[in-house]
Amino acid sequence: MTLSEVVKVDGVAGNFSVTVKESPRYVDMEKCIACGACSEKCPKKVDSEYDAGTGKRKAIYVKYAQAVPLKYQIDAASCIRLQKPGACGFCEKVCDAGAINFDDKEKVHLINVGAVVLAPGFEVFDPKPAGVWGYGVHKNVITSLQLERYLSASGPTEGHLIRPSDGKAVNKVAFLQCVGSRDENLCGNGYCSSVCCMYAIKEAVIAKDHVPGLHTSIFYMDMRTHGKEFDQYLERAKEDAGVRFVRCRIAGVETDGESGDLRLRYVNENGRQIEEFYDMVVLSVGLQTPKHVLELAHTLDIKLTADNFAATSDFAPVQTSREGIYTCGAIAGPKDIPQSVVEGSAAAAAVADLLAPVRHELTSVATFPEEKDISQEEPRIGVFICHCGSNIAGVVDVKAVEEYAATLPDVVYVERNLFSCSQDTQEMIVKRIREQDLNRIVIAACTPRTHEPLFRETLKAAGLNEYLVEMANIRNHNSWVHSKDPQAATAKAKDLVRMAAAKVTFGDSLKPISVPITQKGLVIGGGVAGMTSALNLAKQGFEVHLVEKTDTLGGNALNLKHTWAGEHVPTQVAKLIDKVIWNDRIIIHKECVVTAVDGFVGNFRSTVTGKDGIAKVIEHGAGVVAIGGDAYIPSEYNYNSITRVVTAVQFDKLFELKEKHVKQAKRFVFIQCVGSRESDHMYCSKVCCTHSVQSAIALKKENPERNVYILYRDMRTYAQREALFKQARKLGVIFINYELHGKPKVTEVGNDIQVEVWDHVLHRPLQIAADMVILATAIRPKEDAADLGKLYKVPVDANGFFQEAHAKLRPVDFSTDGMFVAGLAHYPKPVEESVAQALAASARAATLLSKTQVSLDAVKATVDETYCDGCALCVDVCPYNAISLIEKGPAGADGKRAIQVNKAQCKGCGLCQGTCPKRGVYVSGFTMKQISAQIQAALAV
Amino acid sequence: MSFEPKIVAFCCNWCSYAAADLAGTARMQYPHNVRIIRVMCSGMVHPEFVMDALSQGADGVMVLG
Amino acid sequence: MLDTKKVGSVMIVGGGVTGMQAALDLADSGYYVYLVEKSGAIGGAMAQLDKTFPTNDCSM
Repeated sequence: MTLSEVVKVDGVAGNFSVTVKESPRYVDMEKCIACGACSEKCPKKVDSEYDAGTGKRKAIYVKYAQAVPLKYQIDAASCIRLQKPGACGFCEKVCDAGAINFDDKEKVHLINVGAVVLAPGFEVFDPKPAGVWGYGVHKNVITSLQLERYLSASGPTEGHLIRPSDGKAVNKVAFLQCVGSRDENLCGNGYCSSVCCMYAIKEAVIAKDHVPGLHTSIFYMDMRTHGKEFDQYLERAKEDAGVRFVRCRIAGVETDGESGDLRLRYVNENGRQIEEFYDMVVLSVGLQTPKHVLELAHTLDIKLTADNFAATSDFAPVQTSREGIYTCGAIAGPKDIPQSVVEGSAAAAAVADLLAPVRHELTSVATFPEEKDISQEEPRIGVFICHCGSNIAGVVDVKAVEEYAATLPDVVYVERNLFSCSQDTQEMIVKRIREQDLNRIVIAACTPRTHEPLFRETLKAAGLNEYLVEMANIRNHNSWVHSKDPQAATAKAKDLVRMAAAKVTFGDSLKPISVPITQKGLVIGGGVAGMTSALNLAKQGFEVHLVEKTDTLGGNALNLKHTWAGEHVPTQVAKLIDKVIWNDRIIIHKECVVTAVDGFVGNFRSTVTGKDGIAKVIEHGAGVVAIGGDAYIPSEYNYNSITRVVTAVQFDKLFELKEKHVKQAKRFVFIQCVGSRESDHMYCSKVCCTHSVQSAIALKKENPERNVYILYRDMRTYAQREALFKQARKLGVIFINYELHGKPKVTEVGNDIQVEVWDHVLHRPLQIAADMVILATAIRPKEDAADLGKLYKVPVDANGFFQEAHAKLRPVDFSTDGMFVAGLAHYPKPVEESVAQALAASARAATLLSKTQVSLDAVKATVDETYCDGCALCVDVCPYNAISLIEKGPAGADGKRAIQVNKAQCKGCGLCQGTCPKRGVYVSGFTMKQISAQIQAALAV
Repeated sequence: MSFEPKIVAFCCNWCSYAAADLAGTARMQYPHNVRIIRVMCSGMVHPEFVMDALSQGADGVMVLG
Repeated sequence: MLDTKKVGSVMIVGGGVTGMQAALDLADSGYYVYLVEKSGAIGGAMAQLDKTFPTNDCSM
């Protein structure tokens, strides 16, 4: 439902009644075919929201070229006709589909649902009202989102970086960080937006790709690149791309006379006043909750934090203060794409927990008539040529194509449709298939990438195998790209139809592969992530095996006292352990490790071996890897020789026990990044800055007389944690920045510990006498991670953490189907992110486990045993390990070999087909014969 | 008449074929001599296909993936 | 509360990457999903981005 907003939610968890207001679109979605004729004729231009005001759109428009649904809409506020009845109305006149409806009205829907998930997102901070750094006055001061559009090939300048003021090519760009973040004076947003450091680096790197020799400088306070592989990217940006990083506060941005150049003033690290000139200044704007979302939160009666984000618990990060209403994404705090995606899945898991008893109650399975066997029939091809309104017919002589198609071999029926994809045409095609006894279909229309699924359904509805259709893409690849040469386009359309007909002639009925699923889960690791995941799956109704290497549940969380938001960890972990132990769907295997794995998605068999050597085989449909991480044991800073140099975990224990040395000590020094962000461990452990700041606050609160120092490289109290950083400074904690090349030195001098560090304010080495030094040590991956990875054929990255399928969009999936990752095993992270990822892993696993079988696409590698001689060339090239070599014939017989394809693992890429020298393996639907026929047809004129 | 080459292009469904679709959406204009054959991965393109195309009169073959 | 009849459908408010992920996972595991989006098309903020870290993949 687009153009729709929730206005009211009544009822209780499990049974809500939601009022949704749908604004008029003024375009009939059923009729609009997104040809764009309306927009072309529309005389009214306004700023495009999508292009963040850098480009224009019409009053009738699609949000962006690849929008879903790809349907036009009229912006009533700027439409001439809607503002003044009787005027304009050009769009209505040119719309062949008759989709324009100026009388469209607002609709109100009352919808009954079991749960509500809020994912309304964020808005970027608007620097205009406050005139931050001359934004809105100087044309060449733009926001990062605007730069994003300038850099985009689909943006207003098609990716050319030019100055808005005069169109001059840009040679020097400055990025100013923390605009609308970490700044309560100018914008009122005290928190850190978390994502701006990273996107500024990315934009700088990409801008340099676009403009060779471009100078880019990023002016920042702390470089917060705490995400997975972010620090490596930062180093590459510095070393390889040559992006310049300047740690400073900007004093001013002014125009330099009429030229449009911008003068930047700042104080550099040596305390000198510097003036530099730039062609363009980019403001790295932060994220905030939009006003309409605040109103929504108010209507829904859910609590917000001081920073105006939805309030959640660290142990239930997607649960709002109102039962049955969940959050995910930036509404619950600024976050990046992978974390948002994780929370999307996590919210799904939480909903499935609530609504487990009514799963499948409102969903239905479509039924189709029985399929006709055509294997003994001669081909009878039907060709349907789409006009696509005027999109195709306006360029291609469709009548000529129709006449030509009729002359092709085996073509027995040809017809033209105004819109082949419309509902009525679909029904008509079904009728024709039956009436004309067609057994192969060519649809000459648009792209199979979007429409092949639709036409496959049409064939199924007609009782024909869904794979007996081939599309000729005479729109995207023809009429749209050769619109200035209709004659050539018509000739090409004929070729494309001929090629499609040739291919489909050799098409076969293919059966989608169906694999049964063992509806049980396996979770490896009994820490917070593993337990959360197991508990959620169990509450969703699935049997779960939980495997823990040690004899206790709880993992690393057993060492923690408080989350960043102040929740008491031991209480929460104890509750969690209790729930896990008492859940009768969870089978716990303590002191056990996975030693062997067999099978594939839906059908894994994992061998779990105990300390006693007893092995059990567990059958499961999906698995979650949550084996956690280890604390780094330091050797630096004389940790081994000075007793009062301790790790953060040790300090927490001593502090908790009110140990007398800690109790009496007056001078504390925290050293950050011990074992993180250097040489072989170029990653941030993410939790240590916040942890040290929290400890420092506790020390200061206990005794304000204490001197507490934190020696840091970049203070990464990201998102709403920034409040802690602020509190610590207020309490008088002293923060001293050091660089990797100037690490602090720790020595013992009599009863004191001497810490020497370079002071960037005083520009000389500083000696700090301390009673205790606390090392913020790194989080390391488990040593046996890679071995476990090999068993499940899932990879670990260069640092030893498990590698997800896609850094942005599949953050909990492995590239091996049916396996998921959560918690520290994936990357260092705080409790609430581990919990969210664990819930997400359960949601992803449940998409499999909720089904009794998986149906897979029939486009798979198939062995032709007549030709395959078992040379096994294909075995190595298969990226999915789907091919294995087997002995043919009775065991012990003269070893003739052949290959075997595991269809559940095969993705149909056909690397085997491209490699096989003997035609021993082919991909169904793309056989050698079919493609050869296509080649021949392409060249036969 | 000037020489009009015939080009056969093998395009991967997931990238180059999609790119060709987008070229259409963006209404980019390009020469009409190319005939695209959709494959599920450019790795599927057997060397024989390239030979086939050339021997049957193609002036050029593109494998895009 | 205990005798409330539960309903097997869910409403997702917001059609960005987060909302879409939640919608897909719920639909794939047996729930009827209403995806409510304020603007004319789903996609959210990510659709505005040119490329994304780390592979500089196109965000579409």
